[in-house]
Amino acid sequence: MRACFANVVICLGVLLALPAGAQVRSTIIGPGVKRFPIAVAPLKDAGAPGTGDQFAHVIGLDLELSGLFRVIPRDTYLEDAQTGGVTAESINFDNWSVVGALALVKGSIERRGDDLTIEARLFDVAQRKQLAGRRFRGRAADEARMANRFADEIIQYFTGERGPFDSQIAFLSTRGGRFKDVYVMSANGEGVRRITNENTINLSPSWTPDERGLVLTSFRNRNPDLFSLTLPNASWSKLSSLRGLNLGGRWSPDGRRIAVTLEYDGNSEIALLNADGSLQKRLTDHWAVDVSPSWSPDGQQLAFCSDRSGAPQIYVMSADGGGIRRVSTSGNYNTSPSWSPKGDRIAYASRIGGHFQIFTVKTDGTDVRQVTAGAGSNEDPSWSPDGRYLVFSSTRRGASKLYLADAAGANQVELTEGNGSDSSPSWSGWLE
Amino acid sequence: MSRWWLAGVAVVACLALGGTGCSSKKKGSELEGQGAAGMSDEALGGAGGAGSLALAQSGRLGAGDTGPLHDIFFDYDSFDLDETARQTLQENAEWLKNHPTVRVEVEGHCDDRGTVEYNLALGAKRAAAAKNYLVDLGIARDRMTTISYGEELPVCHEESDECWSRNRRAHFVTAAG
Repeated sequence: MRACFANVVICLGVLLALPAGAQVRSTIIGPGVKRFPIAVAPLKDAGAPGTGDQFAHVIGLDLELSGLFRVIPRDTYLEDAQTGGVTAESINFDNWSVVGALALVKGSIERRGDDLTIEARLFDVAQRKQLAGRRFRGRAADEARMANRFADEIIQYFTGERGPFDSQIAFLSTRGGRFKDVYVMSANGEGVRRITNENTINLSPSWTPDERGLVLTSFRNRNPDLFSLTLPNASWSKLSSLRGLNLGGRWSPDGRRIAVTLEYDGNSEIALLNADGSLQKRLTDHWAVDVSPSWSPDGQQLAFCSDRSGAPQIYVMSADGGGIRRVSTSGNYNTSPSWSPKGDRIAYASRIGGHFQIFTVKTDGTDVRQVTAGAGSNEDPSWSPDGRYLVFSSTRRGASKLYLADAAGANQVELTEGNGSDSSPSWSGWLE
Repeated sequence: MSRWWLAGVAVVACLALGGTGCSSKKKGSELEGQGAAGMSDEALGGAGGAGSLALAQSGRLGAGDTGPLHDIFFDYDSFDLDETARQTLQENAEWLKNHPTVRVEVEGHCDDRGTVEYNLALGAKRAAAAKNYLVDLGIARDRMTTISYGEELPVCHEESDECWSRNRRAHFVTAAG
């Protein structure tokens, strides 16, 4: 047992840690490279009969969404999950190489009341050996999270960087009523649950640094005030209710300050609040619109949107308000900056021909890259915790829905569906 | 609450009179009844002007419930007051001068062709521009407050120039002082 976290949701153990250098690992996996074929078998029941389908389903979904893997369809598998082996010694690897798998995920599941134990292993089919393995212990409701964590581990094995799926996306949706309410889902789009039911305007949710709550702007007291919303029970507490805008709160990475847009004499400025919501410092002082602060991951700088040049553009300043410099150089309407957790790039939305597209740019303003193109508007980019993916809203198929893409724009997938309009996604950090 | 009730009384009384002279300034000033116990024009002024958020919450936004003051409209991504807007603000200022105890909430609105946060800030500038012009025309600053709804409360939902231009507005909500 390697680690048991405080506030235990899932205890996990490393089943077998192999040194790097196994055969499959030498295959380079990355955007633009052919997807790596992997089979994900349903789990084998180690105790009372149940179904191990959810775990395999979630792993398969995550790996497909990553754009790095091609998950071989389950209906082609030759083996019955309940009779085949789950260790390197007992697996008939020929059954997997014949369906085209270069890698294989197998495991076992044991349920005892509300307790759940899952052992999951990753195998190299050609070399007939285990590459990674992990034992998860938790409650029955944790099954999807266990799968997300193992998917992240598989991605880490093949790319050297942890995958992004043990995380959540908060967003706004009108699917449940007249106004935008807050919803939260897993990063793979599953498990959507409604958080608020307010019959008023809610705006710009973003995660607290501990990923256990949100900060958002709501008109529930008839003014755009800033609130903290603690999950899972959606308990509201007021952070800032100055007259006028209290907009777009973003917690600093160290959890000590909140960057926010406040209104001074009818004009918006970026300011910092203390953790209790009290005003700490006004950062900008300009007659133009200044909105949408986004922290650099080291907490030393802020990107923001300002129309001080005559049209909205992306700027960067130090966290004390000094050293303001413009980052976006092309386009005449650039908004919604989001600083990558890796620190190297800023994503934003740029208006082209009456529609918005997502771009990224290095923090020094060079190397502009277009992420989206084509029909509809693409807005509100938010980075995955590993900095490799973006979630954003898009009207490419009509009503606004959320999409996931890698930072280069490859592999764009619709994450949400159904009635209403989905917008303002905020991707959390890793849950642990 | 009682002021709103009085507003209802005033409106009903007005209707009961058959509408004759109801909209005339003369009748209005009689209703202002400075000496009559508690009776004033304030509630009458407030009767027609529910806020856009309240109207949206009851599903009535865009149904033509505009109140005694007239909306003004803006160009795309602009908070400049054009000649038409200034003319309308002068009319609104006249009404406010004739109803000196009425308070006003100035709402700033945008069309949806922009990002949510930027538009909330733009709506604040539109509301402030309208308020400041009314101050220039002699309306006391402390009679007016502003609020921005950004692009969140459109009165028109189509994707057309005409519709977008109707949504880029400042709206004036009157209330008893």
